Amino acid sequence: MAPQNGQLDNRIDIVTPENIAFHYQVAGPFRRLPAYLVDLMIRIGLSVVSMIVLVICFAAVHLPDVGAGGGMICYFVIAWFYGGLFETFWNGQTPGKRLMDIRVLSVDGQPINGVQAVMRNLLRVIDGYGFYLVGLIVASMNNRFQRLGDLACGTMVVIEEPKWFHGVVRITEPAAIQLAAQIPAGFVVDRRLARGLAGYVQRRGNFAWPRRLEIARHLSEPLLARLPLPPTTDPDLLLAALYHRTFIADHEDGQSPWGDAVTQSPFMAGAKP
Amino acid sequence: MKVSELLETRWTNWRELDRLCTVLQGRWGKAVRAEMVTRMAALYRGACADLALADAYQLPPGTIDYLHRLVGKAHNQLYRSRKFAYASWLEELLVTVPQRLFNDNYLRLAFCIFWGMFLLTAGLAYHQPGFAERVWSKEMLMHLDESFAQPLEQHGISGEMIGFYIGHNGGIGLECFAAGLLLGVGGLYITATNAVQLGAFFGFMARSTHRENFFHFVTAHGPLELTAIVLSAAAGMRLGFSLIDTKGMTRSASLRAAVDQTLPVAIAAMLMFFLAAMIEAFLSPSPAPYPVKVLVATVSAGALAFYFVILGYPRRE
Repeated sequence: MAPQNGQLDNRIDIVTPENIAFHYQVAGPFRRLPAYLVDLMIRIGLSVVSMIVLVICFAAVHLPDVGAGGGMICYFVIAWFYGGLFETFWNGQTPGKRLMDIRVLSVDGQPINGVQAVMRNLLRVIDGYGFYLVGLIVASMNNRFQRLGDLACGTMVVIEEPKWFHGVVRITEPAAIQLAAQIPAGFVVDRRLARGLAGYVQRRGNFAWPRRLEIARHLSEPLLARLPLPPTTDPDLLLAALYHRTFIADHEDGQSPWGDAVTQSPFMAGAKP
Repeated sequence: MKVSELLETRWTNWRELDRLCTVLQGRWGKAVRAEMVTRMAALYRGACADLALADAYQLPPGTIDYLHRLVGKAHNQLYRSRKFAYASWLEELLVTVPQRLFNDNYLRLAFCIFWGMFLLTAGLAYHQPGFAERVWSKEMLMHLDESFAQPLEQHGISGEMIGFYIGHNGGIGLECFAAGLLLGVGGLYITATNAVQLGAFFGFMARSTHRENFFHFVTAHGPLELTAIVLSAAAGMRLGFSLIDTKGMTRSASLRAAVDQTLPVAIAAMLMFFLAAMIEAFLSPSPAPYPVKVLVATVSAGALAFYFVILGYPRRE
Protein backbone atom coordinates (compact mmCIF):
# COMPACT_ATOMS: atom_id res chain seq x y z
CA MET A 1 0.00 0.00 0.00
CA ALA A 2 2.68 2.48 1.02
CA PRO A 3 4.70 3.60 -1.99
CA GLN A 4 8.38 2.73 -2.04
CA ASN A 5 9.60 6.31 -2.31
CA GLY A 6 8.87 7.26 1.31
CA GLN A 7 12.42 8.43 1.90
CA LEU A 8 12.30 10.69 -1.13
CA ASP A 9 9.03 12.26 -0.08
CA ASN A 10 10.08 12.71 3.58
CA ARG A 11 7.30 10.37 4.55
CA ILE A 12 7.06 9.01 8.09
CA ASP A 13 4.90 5.96 8.79
CA ILE A 14 2.92 5.97 12.00
CA VAL A 15 1.19 3.05 13.72
CA THR A 16 -1.01 4.20 16.58
CA PRO A 17 -1.77 2.03 19.64
CA GLU A 18 -5.19 1.34 18.12
CA ASN A 19 -3.29 -0.25 15.23
CA ILE A 20 -4.17 2.43 12.73
CA ALA A 21 -1.40 2.87 10.21
CA PHE A 22 -1.01 6.09 8.24
CA HIS A 23 1.77 8.37 7.19
CA TYR A 24 2.79 12.00 7.58
CA GLN A 25 4.92 14.17 5.40
CA VAL A 26 7.70 15.85 7.34
CA ALA A 27 7.93 19.63 6.98
CA GLY A 28 11.14 20.91 5.45
CA PRO A 29 12.92 24.27 5.76
CA PHE A 30 10.86 26.00 3.10
CA ARG A 31 7.72 25.51 5.11
CA ARG A 32 9.24 26.04 8.54
CA LEU A 33 11.09 29.24 7.66
CA PRO A 34 7.96 31.24 6.72
CA ALA A 35 6.26 29.94 9.86
CA TYR A 36 9.26 31.09 11.89
CA LEU A 37 9.25 34.53 10.24
CA VAL A 38 5.53 34.99 10.92
CA ASP A 39 6.09 34.03 14.56
CA LEU A 40 9.06 36.40 14.74
CA MET A 41 6.90 39.28 13.49
CA ILE A 42 4.17 38.42 16.02
CA ARG A 43 6.76 38.21 18.80
CA ILE A 44 8.22 41.60 17.96
CA GLY A 45 4.74 43.11 17.63
CA LEU A 46 3.58 41.67 20.96
CA SER A 47 6.72 42.90 22.73
CA VAL A 48 6.40 46.42 21.36
CA VAL A 49 2.65 46.63 22.05
CA SER A 50 2.97 45.28 25.60
CA MET A 51 5.78 47.73 26.32
CA ILE A 52 3.80 50.71 25.00
CA VAL A 53 0.58 49.71 26.76
CA LEU A 54 2.32 49.09 30.11
CA VAL A 55 4.30 52.32 29.99
CA ILE A 56 1.20 54.36 29.12
CA CYS A 57 -0.91 52.68 31.80
CA PHE A 58 1.70 53.12 34.52
CA ALA A 59 2.57 56.63 33.40
CA ALA A 60 -1.05 57.54 34.12
CA VAL A 61 -0.35 56.75 37.80
CA HIS A 62 3.07 58.46 37.61
CA LEU A 63 5.11 55.25 37.66
CA PRO A 64 6.47 55.06 34.10
CA ASP A 65 9.55 53.12 35.20
CA VAL A 66 7.41 50.32 36.65
CA GLY A 67 5.67 50.08 33.28
CA ALA A 68 9.01 49.87 31.48
CA GLY A 69 10.11 47.13 33.88
CA GLY A 70 6.89 45.21 33.25
CA GLY A 71 7.45 45.64 29.53
CA MET A 72 10.91 44.16 29.82
CA ILE A 73 9.57 41.18 31.74
CA CYS A 74 6.98 40.71 28.97
CA TYR A 75 9.76 40.87 26.41
CA PHE A 76 11.75 38.22 28.26
CA VAL A 77 8.76 35.89 28.58
CA ILE A 78 7.76 36.37 24.93
CA ALA A 79 11.30 35.89 23.65
CA TRP A 80 11.91 32.63 25.50
CA PHE A 81 8.49 31.07 26.06
CA TYR A 82 6.26 32.20 23.16
CA GLY A 83 6.75 29.01 21.16
CA GLY A 84 6.67 26.68 24.14
CA LEU A 85 3.43 28.04 25.54
CA PHE A 86 1.64 28.19 22.19
CA GLU A 87 2.68 24.66 21.29
CA THR A 88 1.51 23.41 24.67
CA PHE A 89 -1.91 25.05 24.64
CA TRP A 90 -2.54 25.09 20.88
CA ASN A 91 -1.92 21.42 20.34
CA GLY A 92 1.56 21.68 18.87
CA GLN A 93 1.03 24.81 16.78
CA THR A 94 2.02 28.45 16.94
CA PRO A 95 0.17 31.06 14.86
CA GLY A 96 2.90 30.84 12.20
CA LYS A 97 2.72 27.06 12.15
CA ARG A 98 -1.06 27.14 11.86
CA LEU A 99 -0.80 29.52 8.95
CA MET A 100 1.62 27.18 7.19
CA ASP A 101 -0.44 24.08 8.13
CA ILE A 102 2.33 22.39 10.09
CA ARG A 103 2.26 20.86 13.56
CA VAL A 104 4.75 19.59 16.13
CA LEU A 105 4.29 15.94 17.12
CA SER A 106 6.30 13.36 19.02
CA VAL A 107 8.30 11.08 16.74
CA ASP A 108 5.90 8.23 17.47
CA GLY A 109 2.97 10.31 16.18
CA GLN A 110 1.60 11.09 19.63
CA PRO A 111 0.83 14.68 20.63
CA ILE A 112 3.61 16.49 22.50
CA ASN A 113 3.50 17.44 26.18
CA GLY A 114 4.38 20.71 27.87
CA VAL A 115 7.95 19.71 28.73
CA GLN A 116 8.73 18.82 25.12
CA ALA A 117 7.14 22.03 23.84
CA VAL A 118 9.05 24.30 26.23
CA MET A 119 12.38 22.51 25.87
CA ARG A 120 12.42 22.43 22.08
CA ASN A 121 11.88 26.17 22.10
CA LEU A 122 14.51 26.89 24.78
CA LEU A 123 17.05 24.90 22.78
CA ARG A 124 16.20 27.02 19.74
CA VAL A 125 19.07 29.35 20.82
CA ILE A 126 21.75 26.90 19.78
CA ASP A 127 19.93 25.93 16.58
CA GLY A 128 19.90 29.62 15.83
CA TYR A 129 23.68 30.05 15.95
CA GLY A 130 24.94 31.44 12.64
CA PHE A 131 21.50 32.41 11.32
CA TYR A 132 20.07 28.92 11.97
CA LEU A 133 23.01 27.26 10.22
CA VAL A 134 23.45 24.81 13.12
CA GLY A 135 19.79 23.84 12.99
CA LEU A 136 19.85 23.53 9.21
CA ILE A 137 22.92 21.29 9.17
CA VAL A 138 21.64 19.05 11.96
CA ALA A 139 18.20 18.83 10.35
CA SER A 140 19.60 17.84 6.98
CA MET A 141 21.46 14.96 8.61
CA ASN A 142 18.41 13.00 9.76
CA ASN A 143 15.38 11.77 7.90
CA ARG A 144 12.76 13.53 10.02
CA PHE A 145 14.31 16.95 9.51
CA GLN A 146 14.72 17.46 13.25
CA ARG A 147 16.84 20.33 14.50
CA LEU A 148 18.81 19.91 17.76
CA GLY A 149 15.86 20.94 19.91
CA ASP A 150 13.65 18.40 18.15
CA LEU A 151 16.23 15.64 18.55
CA ALA A 152 16.60 16.36 22.25
CA CYS A 153 12.85 16.33 22.85
CA GLY A 154 11.90 13.56 20.43
CA THR A 155 9.64 15.79 18.36
CA MET A 156 9.16 16.38 14.64
CA VAL A 157 7.22 18.88 12.54
CA VAL A 158 4.71 17.41 10.08
CA ILE A 159 2.59 18.87 7.31
CA GLU A 160 -1.11 18.79 8.05
CA GLU A 161 -2.41 20.46 4.94
CA PRO A 162 -5.74 19.28 3.57
CA LYS A 163 -4.95 17.45 0.38
CA TRP A 164 -6.94 17.82 -2.80
CA PHE A 165 -9.39 15.01 -3.05
CA HIS A 166 -8.63 12.79 -6.03
CA GLY A 167 -11.69 10.73 -6.80
CA VAL A 168 -12.23 8.72 -9.92
CA VAL A 169 -11.51 10.64 -13.09
CA ARG A 170 -14.34 10.67 -15.61
CA ILE A 171 -13.33 9.37 -19.01
CA THR A 172 -15.04 11.53 -21.63
CA GLU A 173 -13.72 10.11 -24.91
CA PRO A 174 -16.42 7.93 -26.55
CA ALA A 175 -13.62 5.98 -28.26
CA ALA A 176 -12.21 4.90 -24.92
CA ILE A 177 -15.64 3.80 -23.67
CA GLN A 178 -16.20 1.80 -26.83
CA LEU A 179 -12.78 0.24 -26.43
CA ALA A 180 -13.59 -0.68 -22.84
CA ALA A 181 -16.54 -2.71 -24.07
CA GLN A 182 -14.22 -4.73 -26.33
CA ILE A 183 -11.95 -5.87 -23.52
CA PRO A 184 -12.86 -9.47 -22.67
CA ALA A 185 -14.85 -9.92 -19.46
CA GLY A 186 -12.38 -12.49 -18.21
CA PHE A 187 -9.47 -10.06 -18.16
CA VAL A 188 -8.58 -9.38 -14.52
CA VAL A 189 -6.93 -6.11 -13.58
CA ASP A 190 -4.84 -6.84 -10.47
CA ARG A 191 -4.04 -4.29 -7.77
CA ARG A 192 -0.67 -3.23 -9.05
CA LEU A 193 -2.01 -2.66 -12.53
CA ALA A 194 -4.98 -0.73 -11.13
CA ARG A 195 -2.63 1.51 -9.18
CA GLY A 196 -0.54 2.16 -12.26
CA LEU A 197 -3.61 2.91 -14.36
CA ALA A 198 -4.98 5.36 -11.80
CA GLY A 199 -1.63 7.08 -11.51
CA TYR A 200 -1.46 7.55 -15.26
CA VAL A 201 -5.06 8.57 -15.94
CA GLN A 202 -5.09 11.15 -13.13
CA ARG A 203 -2.14 12.92 -14.67
CA ARG A 204 -2.68 12.40 -18.38
CA GLY A 205 -4.61 15.64 -18.72
CA ASN A 206 -1.40 17.51 -17.96
CA PHE A 207 0.61 15.91 -20.75
CA ALA A 208 0.88 16.78 -24.42
CA TRP A 209 -0.12 14.15 -26.94
CA PRO A 210 3.40 12.83 -27.88
CA ARG A 211 4.35 12.62 -24.20
CA ARG A 212 1.22 10.58 -23.46
CA LEU A 213 2.11 8.11 -26.19
CA GLU A 214 5.63 7.83 -24.92
CA ILE A 215 4.54 7.06 -21.37
CA ALA A 216 1.56 4.86 -22.16
CA ARG A 217 3.47 2.63 -24.59
CA HIS A 218 5.48 1.03 -21.77
CA LEU A 219 2.31 -0.47 -20.36
CA SER A 220 0.20 -0.85 -23.49
CA GLU A 221 2.68 -2.99 -25.44
CA PRO A 222 2.74 -5.93 -22.99
CA LEU A 223 -1.03 -5.53 -22.51
CA LEU A 224 -1.76 -5.66 -26.24
CA ALA A 225 0.20 -8.90 -26.44
CA ARG A 226 -2.32 -10.43 -24.01
CA LEU A 227 -5.51 -8.84 -25.33
CA PRO A 228 -7.37 -9.72 -28.56
CA LEU A 229 -7.14 -6.16 -29.86
CA PRO A 230 -5.55 -4.81 -33.03
CA PRO A 231 -1.86 -3.96 -32.42
CA THR A 232 -2.48 -0.46 -33.78
CA THR A 233 -4.71 0.45 -30.83
CA ASP A 234 -3.87 3.86 -29.41
CA PRO A 235 -1.83 3.24 -26.16
CA ASP A 236 -3.33 6.23 -24.38
CA LEU A 237 -6.88 5.22 -25.21
CA LEU A 238 -6.23 1.64 -24.16
CA LEU A 239 -5.12 2.68 -20.68
CA ALA A 240 -8.07 5.06 -20.38
CA ALA A 241 -10.41 2.25 -21.43
CA LEU A 242 -8.95 -0.17 -18.91
CA TYR A 243 -9.25 2.49 -16.24
CA HIS A 244 -12.85 3.10 -17.16
CA ARG A 245 -13.62 -0.61 -16.99
CA THR A 246 -11.87 -1.07 -13.64
CA PHE A 247 -13.22 1.91 -11.77
CA ILE A 248 -16.46 3.10 -13.37
CA ALA A 249 -17.65 0.66 -16.03
CA ASP A 250 -21.01 -0.03 -14.37
CA HIS A 251 -22.26 3.41 -15.26
CA GLU A 252 -22.53 3.44 -18.98
CA ASP A 253 -25.17 6.10 -19.17
CA GLY A 254 -22.39 8.63 -19.46
CA GLN A 255 -23.59 10.39 -16.32
CA SER A 256 -20.77 10.07 -13.80
CA PRO A 257 -21.97 9.30 -10.28
CA TRP A 258 -18.88 11.05 -9.17
CA GLY A 259 -19.70 14.48 -10.50
CA ASP A 260 -19.19 16.27 -7.22
CA ALA A 261 -15.72 14.89 -6.60
CA VAL A 262 -14.64 15.41 -10.16
CA THR A 263 -15.42 19.08 -9.92
CA GLN A 264 -13.40 19.17 -6.70
CA SER A 265 -10.28 17.83 -8.37
CA PRO A 266 -7.63 20.48 -9.02
CA PHE A 267 -7.18 19.17 -12.52
CA MET A 268 -10.78 20.09 -13.19
CA ALA A 269 -10.30 23.56 -11.74
CA GLY A 270 -12.68 23.10 -8.81
CA ALA A 271 -12.90 24.64 -5.37
CA LYS A 272 -11.10 23.39 -2.29
CA PRO A 273 -13.20 20.75 -0.49
CA MET B 1 -18.91 -3.17 -5.97
CA LYS B 2 -17.19 -0.70 -8.25
CA VAL B 3 -14.74 1.76 -6.83
CA SER B 4 -16.72 4.73 -8.01
CA GLU B 5 -19.83 3.56 -6.11
CA LEU B 6 -17.79 2.96 -2.99
CA LEU B 7 -16.26 6.41 -3.19
CA GLU B 8 -19.68 7.91 -3.72
CA THR B 9 -20.93 6.46 -0.44
CA ARG B 10 -17.80 7.40 1.52
CA TRP B 11 -17.05 10.83 0.14
CA THR B 12 -19.72 12.68 2.12
CA ASN B 13 -18.47 11.07 5.35
CA TRP B 14 -14.88 12.04 4.66
CA ARG B 15 -15.83 15.57 3.86
CA GLU B 16 -17.89 15.83 7.03
CA LEU B 17 -14.94 14.55 9.07
CA ASP B 18 -12.67 17.10 7.41
CA ARG B 19 -15.14 19.86 8.25
CA LEU B 20 -15.48 18.71 11.87
CA CYS B 21 -11.68 18.75 12.25
CA THR B 22 -11.58 22.34 11.03
CA VAL B 23 -14.34 23.30 13.47
CA LEU B 24 -12.53 21.63 16.38
CA GLN B 25 -9.27 23.29 15.41
CA GLY B 26 -10.72 26.79 15.50
CA ARG B 27 -12.84 26.46 18.63
CA TRP B 28 -10.53 28.64 20.79
CA GLY B 29 -11.12 26.73 24.00
CA LYS B 30 -14.91 26.66 23.76
CA ALA B 31 -16.62 23.46 24.85
CA VAL B 32 -17.60 21.05 22.08
CA ARG B 33 -21.10 19.66 21.82
CA ALA B 34 -21.35 15.99 22.80
CA GLU B 35 -23.07 14.87 19.61
CA MET B 36 -20.28 16.47 17.61
CA VAL B 37 -17.69 14.46 19.49
CA THR B 38 -19.49 11.15 19.05
CA ARG B 39 -20.13 11.92 15.40
CA MET B 40 -16.48 12.73 14.90
CA ALA B 41 -15.37 9.51 16.61
CA ALA B 42 -17.66 7.44 14.40
CA LEU B 43 -16.47 9.19 11.25
CA TYR B 44 -12.84 8.80 12.33
CA ARG B 45 -13.28 5.06 12.83
CA GLY B 46 -14.90 4.85 9.42
CA ALA B 47 -12.07 6.73 7.75
CA CYS B 48 -9.48 4.53 9.51
CA ALA B 49 -11.27 1.41 8.30
CA ASP B 50 -11.41 2.77 4.75
CA LEU B 51 -7.70 3.55 4.86
CA ALA B 52 -6.85 0.11 6.21
CA LEU B 53 -8.87 -1.51 3.41
CA ALA B 54 -7.84 0.96 0.72
CA ASP B 55 -5.63 -1.60 -0.97
CA ALA B 56 -8.37 -4.24 -1.00
CA TYR B 57 -10.87 -1.69 -2.30
CA GLN B 58 -8.44 -0.74 -5.09
CA LEU B 59 -8.77 2.96 -4.33
CA PRO B 60 -6.78 5.24 -6.64
CA PRO B 61 -3.42 6.44 -5.17
CA GLY B 62 -4.64 10.03 -4.99
CA THR B 63 -7.55 8.97 -2.82
CA ILE B 64 -5.22 7.01 -0.54
CA ASP B 65 -2.99 10.07 -0.11
CA TYR B 66 -6.06 12.10 0.74
CA LEU B 67 -7.12 9.51 3.32
CA HIS B 68 -3.67 9.51 4.94
CA ARG B 69 -3.85 13.26 5.42
CA LEU B 70 -7.44 13.09 6.64
CA VAL B 71 -6.74 10.37 9.21
CA GLY B 72 -3.61 12.22 10.37
CA LYS B 73 -5.56 15.44 10.77
CA ALA B 74 -8.38 13.75 12.69
CA HIS B 75 -5.87 11.89 14.87
CA ASN B 76 -4.31 15.19 15.90
CA GLN B 77 -7.69 16.60 16.86
CA LEU B 78 -8.65 13.52 18.91
CA TYR B 79 -5.32 13.27 20.72
CA ARG B 80 -4.29 16.71 21.86
CA SER B 81 -1.11 17.96 23.51
CA ARG B 82 -0.79 17.20 27.19
CA LYS B 83 -0.38 20.31 29.29
CA PHE B 84 1.99 20.70 32.22
CA ALA B 85 1.50 18.45 35.23
CA TYR B 86 1.17 21.37 37.65
CA ALA B 87 0.26 19.15 40.62
CA SER B 88 3.61 17.39 40.56
CA TRP B 89 5.69 20.54 40.12
CA LEU B 90 6.00 21.43 43.78
CA GLU B 91 7.11 17.93 44.68
CA GLU B 92 9.50 17.92 41.74
CA LEU B 93 11.06 21.25 42.79
CA LEU B 94 11.27 20.57 46.51
CA VAL B 95 12.00 16.82 46.63
CA THR B 96 13.26 15.38 43.37
CA VAL B 97 15.46 18.20 42.11
CA PRO B 98 17.56 18.74 45.28
CA GLN B 99 17.97 14.97 45.70
CA ARG B 100 19.22 14.72 42.16
CA LEU B 101 21.51 17.72 42.47
CA PHE B 102 23.12 16.50 45.69
CA ASN B 103 24.91 13.72 43.81
CA ASP B 104 25.28 15.61 40.56
CA ASN B 105 28.86 15.62 39.31
CA TYR B 106 27.98 18.19 36.67
CA LEU B 107 26.92 20.63 39.36
CA ARG B 108 30.23 20.07 41.17
CA LEU B 109 32.12 20.58 37.93
CA ALA B 110 30.21 23.74 36.99
CA PHE B 111 30.65 25.02 40.55
CA CYS B 112 34.41 24.45 40.47
CA ILE B 113 34.83 25.97 37.01
CA PHE B 114 32.73 29.03 37.73
CA TRP B 115 34.18 29.83 41.14
CA GLY B 116 37.70 28.75 40.18
CA MET B 117 37.79 31.05 37.16
CA PHE B 118 36.05 33.79 39.09
CA LEU B 119 38.49 33.78 42.01
CA LEU B 120 41.50 33.36 39.71
CA THR B 121 40.66 36.34 37.51
CA ALA B 122 39.53 38.42 40.48
CA GLY B 123 42.92 37.80 42.11
CA LEU B 124 44.77 38.57 38.90
CA ALA B 125 42.82 41.76 38.29
CA TYR B 126 43.40 42.84 41.87
CA HIS B 127 47.13 42.22 41.94
CA GLN B 128 48.05 43.06 38.35
CA PRO B 129 46.82 46.45 37.25
CA GLY B 130 46.02 46.28 33.56
CA PHE B 131 44.68 42.72 33.64
CA ALA B 132 41.06 43.83 33.76
CA GLU B 133 41.62 46.00 30.71
CA ARG B 134 42.48 42.86 28.76
CA VAL B 135 39.10 41.33 29.58
CA TRP B 136 36.97 44.44 29.29
CA SER B 137 37.65 47.41 27.11
CA LYS B 138 39.03 50.45 28.91
CA GLU B 139 36.05 52.64 28.05
CA MET B 140 33.67 49.99 29.33
CA LEU B 141 35.53 49.77 32.64
CA MET B 142 35.58 53.54 32.99
CA HIS B 143 31.88 53.67 32.28
CA LEU B 144 31.10 50.93 34.81
CA ASP B 145 33.36 52.57 37.37
CA GLU B 146 31.63 55.92 36.82
CA SER B 147 28.25 54.34 37.49
CA PHE B 148 29.36 53.51 41.01
CA ALA B 149 30.82 56.98 41.65
CA GLN B 150 27.65 58.23 43.31
CA PRO B 151 26.64 56.91 46.71
CA LEU B 152 23.62 54.61 46.44
CA GLU B 153 21.23 57.20 47.88
CA GLN B 154 21.39 59.00 44.55
CA HIS B 155 20.36 55.99 42.52
CA GLY B 156 16.93 55.50 43.96
CA ILE B 157 14.81 52.45 43.39
CA SER B 158 13.76 51.90 39.82
CA GLY B 159 10.96 49.66 38.71
CA GLU B 160 12.50 49.62 35.30
CA MET B 161 15.55 47.80 36.57
CA ILE B 162 13.72 44.71 37.77
CA GLY B 163 12.52 43.96 34.27
CA PHE B 164 15.98 44.55 32.92
CA TYR B 165 17.61 42.26 35.46
CA ILE B 166 15.12 39.43 34.95
CA GLY B 167 15.41 39.63 31.19
CA HIS B 168 19.17 40.04 31.06
CA ASN B 169 20.21 37.54 33.72
CA GLY B 170 17.51 35.03 32.88
CA GLY B 171 18.60 35.22 29.26
CA ILE B 172 22.23 34.53 30.19
CA GLY B 173 21.14 31.59 32.33
CA LEU B 174 18.95 30.09 29.62
CA GLU B 175 21.65 30.50 27.01
CA CYS B 176 24.17 28.87 29.37
CA PHE B 177 21.72 26.00 29.70
CA ALA B 178 20.92 25.60 26.00
CA ALA B 179 24.55 25.90 24.90
CA GLY B 180 25.36 22.91 27.11
CA LEU B 181 23.78 20.72 24.46
CA LEU B 182 26.81 21.32 22.21
CA LEU B 183 28.52 18.31 23.83
CA GLY B 184 28.85 20.34 27.03
CA VAL B 185 31.58 22.47 25.45
CA GLY B 186 29.27 25.39 24.63
CA GLY B 187 28.06 25.51 28.23
CA LEU B 188 31.64 25.35 29.52
CA TYR B 189 32.57 28.23 27.25
CA ILE B 190 29.71 30.49 28.29
CA THR B 191 30.18 29.63 31.97
CA ALA B 192 33.90 30.33 31.79
CA THR B 193 33.40 33.59 29.85
CA ASN B 194 30.92 34.87 32.38
CA ALA B 195 33.16 33.84 35.28
CA VAL B 196 36.20 35.55 33.78
CA GLN B 197 34.31 38.76 33.00
CA LEU B 198 32.70 38.93 36.43
CA GLY B 199 35.95 38.02 38.18
CA ALA B 200 37.97 40.63 36.32
CA PHE B 201 35.36 43.25 37.08
CA PHE B 202 35.23 42.36 40.77
CA GLY B 203 39.03 42.46 41.01
CA PHE B 204 39.11 45.78 39.20
CA MET B 205 36.44 47.31 41.39
CA ALA B 206 38.15 46.10 44.57
CA ARG B 207 41.03 48.44 43.68
CA SER B 208 38.75 51.25 42.63
CA THR B 209 38.06 54.28 44.78
CA HIS B 210 34.35 53.53 44.51
CA ARG B 211 34.66 50.03 45.94
CA GLU B 212 32.43 50.69 48.93
CA ASN B 213 29.53 51.68 46.70
CA PHE B 214 30.20 48.67 44.51
CA PHE B 215 30.14 46.10 47.29
CA HIS B 216 27.19 47.89 48.83
CA PHE B 217 25.39 47.15 45.58
CA VAL B 218 26.41 43.56 44.80
CA THR B 219 26.39 41.91 48.22
CA ALA B 220 22.68 41.30 48.72
CA HIS B 221 21.80 39.55 45.48
CA GLY B 222 25.18 37.92 44.82
CA PRO B 223 24.63 34.45 46.32
CA LEU B 224 21.33 33.80 44.54
CA GLU B 225 22.39 35.13 41.18
CA LEU B 226 25.76 33.40 40.98
CA THR B 227 24.26 30.11 42.17
CA ALA B 228 21.58 30.37 39.50
CA ILE B 229 24.21 30.74 36.77
CA VAL B 230 26.12 27.71 38.11
CA LEU B 231 22.87 25.74 38.27
CA SER B 232 21.84 26.46 34.71
CA ALA B 233 25.33 25.72 33.44
CA ALA B 234 25.28 22.38 35.28
CA ALA B 235 21.90 21.50 33.78
CA GLY B 236 23.20 22.33 30.32
CA MET B 237 26.30 20.21 30.82
CA ARG B 238 24.16 17.28 31.88
CA LEU B 239 22.34 17.60 28.55
CA GLY B 240 25.56 17.75 26.56
CA PHE B 241 27.42 14.98 28.37
CA SER B 242 24.43 12.67 28.11
CA LEU B 243 25.43 12.41 24.45
CA ILE B 244 28.91 11.20 25.42
CA ASP B 245 28.24 8.97 28.44
CA THR B 246 25.03 7.25 27.42
CA LYS B 247 24.96 4.68 30.26
CA GLY B 248 24.25 1.93 27.78
CA MET B 249 21.31 3.62 26.04
CA THR B 250 21.32 4.88 22.48
CA ARG B 251 22.47 8.47 22.20
CA SER B 252 19.04 9.85 21.40
CA ALA B 253 17.37 7.90 24.23
CA SER B 254 20.04 9.11 26.64
CA LEU B 255 19.53 12.71 25.54
CA ARG B 256 15.78 12.42 25.90
CA ALA B 257 16.10 11.03 29.41
CA ALA B 258 18.40 13.96 30.26
CA VAL B 259 15.88 16.46 28.89
CA ASP B 260 13.17 15.23 31.26
CA GLN B 261 15.58 15.54 34.18
CA THR B 262 17.05 18.93 33.39
CA LEU B 263 13.99 21.06 32.67
CA PRO B 264 12.98 21.17 36.38
CA VAL B 265 16.56 22.17 37.25
CA ALA B 266 16.47 24.95 34.65
CA ILE B 267 13.14 26.12 36.10
CA ALA B 268 14.63 26.12 39.62
CA ALA B 269 17.46 28.27 38.24
CA MET B 270 14.87 30.62 36.66
CA LEU B 271 13.15 31.03 40.05
CA MET B 272 16.50 31.91 41.62
CA PHE B 273 17.17 34.46 38.89
CA PHE B 274 13.75 35.93 39.57
CA LEU B 275 14.39 36.23 43.33
CA ALA B 276 17.85 37.67 42.68
CA ALA B 277 16.39 40.25 40.30
CA MET B 278 13.84 41.29 42.95
CA ILE B 279 16.63 41.87 45.46
CA GLU B 280 18.85 43.51 42.85
CA ALA B 281 16.16 45.96 41.83
CA PHE B 282 14.70 46.85 45.20
CA LEU B 283 17.21 46.22 48.00
CA SER B 284 20.63 46.48 46.34
CA PRO B 285 20.34 50.07 45.04
CA SER B 286 18.57 51.27 48.20
CA PRO B 287 20.51 53.22 50.85
CA ALA B 288 19.74 50.52 53.47
CA PRO B 289 22.66 50.01 55.88
CA TYR B 290 25.31 47.56 54.77
CA PRO B 291 24.66 45.03 57.59
CA VAL B 292 21.08 44.62 56.30
CA LYS B 293 22.40 43.64 52.91
CA VAL B 294 24.89 41.25 54.47
CA LEU B 295 22.02 39.75 56.43
CA VAL B 296 19.98 39.23 53.25
CA ALA B 297 22.98 37.65 51.55
CA THR B 298 23.52 35.35 54.54
CA VAL B 299 19.86 34.36 54.68
CA SER B 300 19.72 33.59 50.95
CA ALA B 301 22.98 31.63 51.14
CA GLY B 302 21.52 29.73 54.09
CA ALA B 303 18.34 29.02 52.15
CA LEU B 304 20.38 27.71 49.24
CA ALA B 305 22.41 25.51 51.60
CA PHE B 306 19.15 24.23 53.08
CA TYR B 307 17.83 23.48 49.61
CA PHE B 308 20.90 21.69 48.34
CA VAL B 309 22.08 19.93 51.50
CA ILE B 310 19.12 19.34 53.83
CA LEU B 311 16.46 18.72 51.17
CA GLY B 312 19.00 17.04 48.93
CA TYR B 313 20.60 14.69 51.46
CA PRO B 314 19.99 11.14 50.24
CA ARG B 315 17.09 9.53 52.07
CA ARG B 316 16.76 5.95 53.09
CA GLU B 317 13.53 4.44 51.96
